[in-house]
Formats: sequence, C-alpha cells, structure tokens
Amino acid sequence: MDVVVEDVTQIWGEEPTQVVALDHFSHRFRSRRFSCLLGPSGCGKSTLIQIVGGLESATGGTVRIQYPGKEDSPRPLGADSVMVWQNLNLFPWRSVIDNVAFGLEMRGISRNERHERARALIASVGLRGFENHLPGQLSGGMRQRVALARALIMERPILLMDEPFAALDAQTKIVMQEELLRIFDQTHKTVLFVTHAIEEAILLGDEVVVMTARPGRIKEVIPVDLPRPRSLEMINSPEFGALFDRTFHLIREEVMRAMEQQAEMVAGHS
Amino acid sequence: MKPDGKRKTRLTEMALPSLSVVIFLLAWEMLVRWRGIAPIFLPPPSSIAVYLWRMIADGTMEYHLGVTLLRIFAGFLIAAATGVALGLLMGMSRIVARVADVWIAALYPLPKISLIPLLIIWLGTGEAYRIVISAITAFFPIVISTYSGIRQADRGLIKAAQDLGANTRQIQLKVVIPAAMPSILAGLQLGMGVAFILIVAAEMIGGSSQSGMGYLLINAGQVMETEKVFACLVVLAVMGAVIIKLQQWADRKLAPWVAHDGR
Repeated sequence: MDVVVEDVTQIWGEEPTQVVALDHFSHRFRSRRFSCLLGPSGCGKSTLIQIVGGLESATGGTVRIQYPGKEDSPRPLGADSVMVWQNLNLFPWRSVIDNVAFGLEMRGISRNERHERARALIASVGLRGFENHLPGQLSGGMRQRVALARALIMERPILLMDEPFAALDAQTKIVMQEELLRIFDQTHKTVLFVTHAIEEAILLGDEVVVMTARPGRIKEVIPVDLPRPRSLEMINSPEFGALFDRTFHLIREEVMRAMEQQAEMVAGHS
Repeated sequence: MKPDGKRKTRLTEMALPSLSVVIFLLAWEMLVRWRGIAPIFLPPPSSIAVYLWRMIADGTMEYHLGVTLLRIFAGFLIAAATGVALGLLMGMSRIVARVADVWIAALYPLPKISLIPLLIIWLGTGEAYRIVISAITAFFPIVISTYSGIRQADRGLIKAAQDLGANTRQIQLKVVIPAAMPSILAGLQLGMGVAFILIVAAEMIGGSSQSGMGYLLINAGQVMETEKVFACLVVLAVMGAVIIKLQQWADRKLAPWVAHDGR
C-alpha cells in the first residue's frame, strides 16, 4: 500500500510561541518498500509517522493510503498501519503473551485462538519460553521483540517504526536490525522507519528521506539500491561508503542548523 | 576466615533488632524494680505479660479485638467501594470530576474527628456512628488516590492501545484502570490506616458501646489498671503490624508488575 503524504503541516501551540514542526511535507512512500526518515532531533519525523498512523491530526494537508491499484483505502487512517514505539509502550501488567495478543483481544477473538497465534509469533521472534513473563522481567532487546510481535500480530500492511532501536546497546541493536531485515524480507510490508542513525537508515532502507531541521521539510530523498537480502557486512562495501558520505554531509548541515536554532532560542530566552 | 566473618556479621545483623527489644524490656523491668516505681504509673513488662495472658485466657481480649476488627473492616469496605467507584467515575467523566472536586476540596481538610458530635446527635452512639465516621475518613484518601491514578495513566500506553484497535471503553477497562492500580492500592492502604485510627477513637468516645479495643483501653485507664492499658497497646500494635503485612501481601498479588516496571 502506498502512503501518500500531501502538504502535511503541523503547528504546535498558539501564535507568539508557536512551533512549526512540519512544513508542507509531501512524499509518496511506495508499497512494500522500506523507507527511512532521517533527520536531526525535533525535525518532526516522529510527528509525521504519528499522523500517518492516525494518532495525531495534522494542522493541514492530507494523508491517503492507496491500494496498489491506486485506489484510496476506504478505511480510516490508522486502520491499515501499526506502530512500534520508541519507548515500546508495553503494558507492564500484562504477560508477554497477553501483550502480544492485545490487538486480537480488542477485536474480540477468543482467548484460545489469540493465545495460539501469539505463541507462534513469540516463537518466531525467538522468545519461546517467556510467554508468561512480565515485560519488566525481560532485557531491553527481549522487550523490543515483544513490541515487534505485538505489532506484527495485527497483520497490517503498513509498519510504522519510531526510532525503535534507539535505546538498545550496540550489540543488541545489530541483532534487532538483522531480525527486522529478516522479517521485512519475509513479509514485505510497507515500512516507515524513523531514525537519527545514518548507518541504520542505509542498512535497512530502500530509500532514505533526509529531513531538514525545524520546520521539517524534505531535504533530499536518497535511493538505496543495495541488494537484498541485506547483511551487516555490506557496511564495509564501497557503495555503502558512498551513500554514507552523501547522507552524512546532508545531515551535518541540518544538525548544525538545528544547533544554531537551539542557541538562538536560549539567547532569546535570556 | 573471610566467609565465616561475613556469616558472623549477617547473624549479628539479624539478631540485633530482636536483641535490642530484649535489652529494652530488661532495662525497663530492672528500672521499675530497683526504683520501686508504682505499677499504676509504670508496670514492669513481666506483669504486663501476665495481665495480657489472663485477658487472652478468659476471652476478653479476643472478644474486644474481634469486635474492633469487624468494625474496621466494615468501615473500610464501605469507604473502599464508594471511594474507588467515585474515583473511577471522576476519572471517566469530566462533569463528575468537576462537581466532586468542589466537595472534596471543601470536606477533605476538615478533621473528621470533629464530625463525631454531629454523628452522635444523628446516629446515637451505636454501631452506625462508629462505622460511618471511619468510612467517611477512609473515603477521602481512597477517592483522591483513585482519581489521580486514573488521571496520571501513561499517555503513551493509551495511544498504543488506540493504535492496536482498542475503543474508548476498552482503553478505560484494559489500560487506564490497570495503570491506576498501584495508586488505587496506595489509597486503600492509607484508607485502612485511618479507618483503624477512627474506629479505636470512636470506641473511646460515646461510652454506651461497652465493646472494642478503644473501650477496653479507656475503661482500664479510668480505673488505673495500667497493666491492662499496656496489654491493649501491645495487642493494637501487633494488629496494626499484621494489617500492614497483609496489605503488602495483597499488593504483591494484585499489582505484581510494580516491583519490576518495564514498558
């Protein structure tokens, strides 16, 4: 399913202190492709995928979900997508299996059936044997897998991911990136993946949408034509290096601009 | 050598608290005996123990303790049911919250003990007055904690549930209320504490009751049976400790995730 974002603008607050988070953002995220949104902190990338997920309403502009036949989805925004959150938002009082089965429970699917399906997904993300643990009893990487399984069980064609691996240690992050690549190769969902890590964006994405510092606009869309299945060894290839350099220079400009903005804000306050 | 030394410190660490109690009681006993202090003023622990044993043996203590416990639980249960219910309603309906807020703000700061004269005029000095005063007192911390628990429910969790297809009612039942659970339990614990205090206090006032630990205490005090007063205090302290332990156990059963909160 294509995600068609047209002229989306998001403004927080009222006139004198208002902040323009997104400024006329337009892009077509193509069906079954892995798109990474890359930009400095505060550029509105998280806001954008929350708008796509129907969890925030934009100040202006439209988001449409289009079937491959180029017909608009008749369902409300959010019904075709599911989110994996930066801070996971697992329900701390629910066991792993009941966290994963949450969406099915809300649909009214019987306990036996939803547990059966949840158990299969838990096994597929490598957590067999931890079904009855509470999230608080798991490590960061394991919690991340629970969050992934909880989203995947919804079987929605669009997967929205908001810096899901930002809080993980370096080794766990690598393992989770490989896990996600494997899942993407198997399911071929349309993925919108927010990150501020350049390597991660290139390693995972079919395209990297580089955003400007606030207000968030598209600075450049960099296609990544590295072959799939991807693996971590590709980081050492010259093609990867060239993409990295190109992206790095774009991002550096924006990070500098963001820092200047922050400095101005601090100066303005004092 | 090393592990042995460690074991020794751990043993002393474990023994020290109870040892301090024994030393305190011994010092008390000796002080009273050597200085010849009148038992009416300060009885020695040994004779307090004898009195306590007699009161248990003839069933006095069990009877009054049982009556007090029943009253505490009656008052507490009324407060818990109404307090949690109103707190939940306030959390779910802005109008209820607005209205109830005014009343809570006006009545909460009032020392509930000051309602005793009014309640005696309206209800007499019977069972109803004691249970009502403790229920009113326990109601406030319970309703306030429940409401604030609901209001402080994590926005992220609510959004996540919404994203996973939960409707408004499901969000309330499956996310907001469980998220408020630790706060509700904390409110119940406070409520139990004040229900305990108010029942014993109410048993002391309005002499027609003739039963309960408060009555036993004030009665013994009036005829200067200081040993009995101390015996009652010992029983009340033990009862309070048991109630706290029971609540901690219930908390672990009802909200086991609080010990290791991870989302």
